[in-house]
Amino acid sequence: VAGALVIGYGNELRGDDAAGYRLAERLADDPAVAKRGATVLARRQLTPELALDLSRARRVLLLDATTLLPAGELELRRVEMGGSAAAASSHHMTPEVLLGLAAELYGAAPETWVLSIGAANLELGDDLSVEVTTALDGACAKVIELLDA
Amino acid sequence: MTNQIIIDPITRIEGHSKITIQLDDAGEVADAQFHVTQFRGFERIVQGRPIHEMPSIMARICGICPVSHLVASAKACDEILAVEPPPTAVDLRRVMNLAQVVQSNALSFFHLSSPDLLFGMDADPARRNIIGVARENPQLARDGVGVRKFGQQIIEWLGGKRIHPAWVVPGGVDAPLTDETRRRILAGVPDAIAAIVRALEWHKSELVRWEDEAQVFGSFRSAWMGLVDADGNVDHYDGRVRVMDADGNLLLDRIDPRPYWEYLGEAVEPSSYLKSTYLTAAGYPDGVYRVGPLARLIVSERMGTPRADDELGQFRARLGRAPSSTFHYHYARLIDTLYAAERIEQLLQGEEILSPRVRAHATINRNEGIGVSEAPRGTLMHHYRVDDNGLVEWANLVIATGHNNLAMNRSVAQVAKAYVKSARLEEPMLNRVEAVIRCYDPCLSCSTHALGQMPLHIQLVGPDGTVLDELAR
Repeated sequence: VAGALVIGYGNELRGDDAAGYRLAERLADDPAVAKRGATVLARRQLTPELALDLSRARRVLLLDATTLLPAGELELRRVEMGGSAAAASSHHMTPEVLLGLAAELYGAAPETWVLSIGAANLELGDDLSVEVTTALDGACAKVIELLDA
Repeated sequence: MTNQIIIDPITRIEGHSKITIQLDDAGEVADAQFHVTQFRGFERIVQGRPIHEMPSIMARICGICPVSHLVASAKACDEILAVEPPPTAVDLRRVMNLAQVVQSNALSFFHLSSPDLLFGMDADPARRNIIGVARENPQLARDGVGVRKFGQQIIEWLGGKRIHPAWVVPGGVDAPLTDETRRRILAGVPDAIAAIVRALEWHKSELVRWEDEAQVFGSFRSAWMGLVDADGNVDHYDGRVRVMDADGNLLLDRIDPRPYWEYLGEAVEPSSYLKSTYLTAAGYPDGVYRVGPLARLIVSERMGTPRADDELGQFRARLGRAPSSTFHYHYARLIDTLYAAERIEQLLQGEEILSPRVRAHATINRNEGIGVSEAPRGTLMHHYRVDDNGLVEWANLVIATGHNNLAMNRSVAQVAKAYVKSARLEEPMLNRVEAVIRCYDPCLSCSTHALGQMPLHIQLVGPDGTVLDELAR
């Protein structure tokens, strides 16, 4: 991964939890993203081996769902290394811990951002809510904007 | 007065569960139980679905070992179609299944268990984690990343997706292997083997430190079960069932694994969604047996690859044929991973591996099918009944974690008796109870990513429901 790396993650069987995953799938098929040379990955969760991918990227953009925002709302924040690694596991690796792992193991901590998408429904099912489906257009545009920055 | 210590949920395992530790009147540990609090329900979800959809649906049971379910499911479908997949398709399925073993075993050893093994069970959790491993032993951490990535990439290159590939289908595989993919995979084998061997050397050098702990770390007499080939060697994809007792005597040898109800019973306890399987000859709950990497090593004559066989010889010279401690799952898991990497290389060097003949086509020719294979955690069985149109009427899954359930309960009870010395909850005790469960690498049909934290929450509850002590992290 020489340029930008985009990782969307979430569970495709838990409604809006898949917002980041679905956004990544969409971006992977978007010629505008390909033109900018970005690598796009869709994953169910952040896992330790992604530290290697992070370390090779110039800039990283993580896409995830959140319950801390109103449904369909977007929020962008810069990731700083740190946070408690005690809870780091296959279940739960935060962006902060993943970035820290990349720095520890490979000496590289690329500029990393998280684009959060407010979730409305986390029940079992593979459909996104109307709010999140609608928000994906704006999220796509935001990602392109970041890739150009 | 009877008290209970509840550990809920357990961290660093796949899925959601809790542990209840039962105290007697004197405040000593009387018993312990491992509960799975997560409802899977796939046996019901698939009713009415067409049989050709089953492998890809079943793969969604798990985000960590989807290929294992894919393979067992496809084998059950092969039976319903009454087809024999072409030999190249069988070898390609084997490659993918072994890649699954590599990546899942790597997750278990390097990412989930190495913090305990490197720092010790009593170490501060703030240090005893993967970042701590990266600081203390960066080579070990980098090797973990590399080995898991090797397995994951094989799955992605073969199946097009790393998490839920749909390449394994009833009758074979969906597309032949390309020479380019073969070369890419083979190019990664030397580094993967080197990393596994480094981890093995490190673990072997550390074993003496764990000798005392291993004695009370799920160390008890039980039977062992795994699949072996016609020569009695390990076989992750096919093979026949072998069951060995704690003294190395064969209880069952190379029997057809499919009619599992003839040698296994399934018990259901109200406190858990996880079934407990047992050897019918010994009855419930005495028919305890263990499956998984340690069981595979114990029941097999040889692994069948040079380096893994050498390591198996060292393992047996050091620990005997059937070491009783659950702690040695770690050692066995590394040898199992080494075998898988070596075997992948052997299979990809086969003359017919690029053959375009990779799928047999048929319609419904039977109304029942059973597929059995070895998942990273142990023997996995998928059993389906379909109507004449190929719609699923009934399904039953016997999963590795169910085979190990009775053994996990015994292991937790033994660790708790050794380390729970008061009605107070303390981190080292808690970690040991969790760690012995992690040895089995239980997979509780995980929903691998959910929003929010999964904090560890333990409660000590009195007989009247009062919370006497509470611990969270």
